[in-house]
Amino acid sequence: MKSFCTMLKIEGKLSIRDMNMVIFAIIMPVVIITILGIIYGTKPAFDGAEYTFIEQSFGGLCSIAICAGGLMGLPILVADYREKKILKRFKVTPVSPAKILFVHLTIYSLYSALSVVILWLIAKVFWKFTMKGSILLFMAGWLLVLISMLSIGMFVGGIAKNSKKASIIASVLYFPMLVFSGATLPYEVMPDIMQKIVDVMPLTQGIKILKAATLGTDMGNLWISVILMLFMAIMFIIGSIKFFRWE
Amino acid sequence: MKINGKEECNMDTMIRINQMSKSYNGKIAVDNLNFELEKGQTMGILGANGAGKSTSIECILGTKKMDKGEIRILGMNPAKDRKKLFQRVGVQFQEGNYQTEIRVDELCEETASLYRDPADWKFLLDKFGIREKENSLIKDLSGGQRQRLFIILAFMPKPDAVFLDELTTGLDARARRDAWKILKSLKEEGITMVLTSHFMDEVEELCDYILVLKKSRTVFKGTVKEAVAASPYDKFEDAYLWLTDDSKEGV
Repeated sequence: MKSFCTMLKIEGKLSIRDMNMVIFAIIMPVVIITILGIIYGTKPAFDGAEYTFIEQSFGGLCSIAICAGGLMGLPILVADYREKKILKRFKVTPVSPAKILFVHLTIYSLYSALSVVILWLIAKVFWKFTMKGSILLFMAGWLLVLISMLSIGMFVGGIAKNSKKASIIASVLYFPMLVFSGATLPYEVMPDIMQKIVDVMPLTQGIKILKAATLGTDMGNLWISVILMLFMAIMFIIGSIKFFRWE
Repeated sequence: MKINGKEECNMDTMIRINQMSKSYNGKIAVDNLNFELEKGQTMGILGANGAGKSTSIECILGTKKMDKGEIRILGMNPAKDRKKLFQRVGVQFQEGNYQTEIRVDELCEETASLYRDPADWKFLLDKFGIREKENSLIKDLSGGQRQRLFIILAFMPKPDAVFLDELTTGLDARARRDAWKILKSLKEEGITMVLTSHFMDEVEELCDYILVLKKSRTVFKGTVKEAVAASPYDKFEDAYLWLTDDSKEGV
């Protein structure tokens, strides 16, 4: 426990010094919610909607930080630490190299949680945001999205040959999901056919869950999303454990 | 092997390597390596690049899986008793393995946190003359300063045994001498050391025993003096080159 806390402190400092996560997980969602807020203010999502546009977008915005950590930060970090033989160095200490990976999973989770808190505060203070659904449900959905995105990241980082390859795969996953899953560009404004295509992306399903929890809309048909996400998370976790290259 | 010096009452074997072999895809990398080392002794593993020095160290430490053989360090099996063993064994691999943007104090603190009873790294930074670099990024240190830092990291567990892979490669003459001085003082404290090196002067200065590898095979094992005596030359470097000469097979 002592080593975990020390490593969390130091690796956390390194992550902040690196600035990538600060920009992509903390600042970027704030910029986007501010732009949406300035444009839409407290307007309803559509004529006759019981919730505002901001409320409708909140779930998606909360997933931006998760995306940055799980799909961009984690795979590159894991491949980089392997390439620099940092994981190998841990193999000749009493502490398992898995511990430093858990430290980073914790760091990415903290960024994501912090981002939600900041977004919630901004939305509440400036645009009268209220959680119309269940906070508990939201938290459960958020955790599911977090776990599944981090498991993808760990898998990609674990199997990528080097950090360059990891960064290419990360970009291929990160940018389409960020733009088309409803995290930044609202799912609702997409044409029908496009919605059908982007439904394939796991994050689209995750955001649907978050959205339903925020807006208090019917969860009925969302069980498919939940099961899909769970299944995917389990597959990637098993895959990371089985195929992870320490060297 | 005999022990020379004051520790005669404590003649326990610290490291025992028995018939260790390793091959990659049918190509032999380490062929039947054997040696024993007692408390306070230093063993130098020598050989050209690709002779199997680093692979030997990695198999001994369990970071590479050997095909055959038996290894005991401090009476433990490195592959099975990793957690217990590495509380008392320090390692420095060939290239420094550190995070790009990490500072000296941060890497020291993080490394110290891995051990139950770590050394006082601020004291060690002082002793090795790099205390004023405490807040610098490691990538901004000079080669000599960085190597001194890596020695400190290897000695962080207050080890009974350390493994140092090409510690002084890439250092200038003065930095190398400084590193020797530090290692000699640590040796006097009774620490058992295994090191690899390309520098014969360094080996003469530090090692009680040497093991010369040529194309994965042990071609000599003994003291520096014995190596010189076994060769037609008077200087150790000449003797080493003679031992590892490619045109001369089967010593």
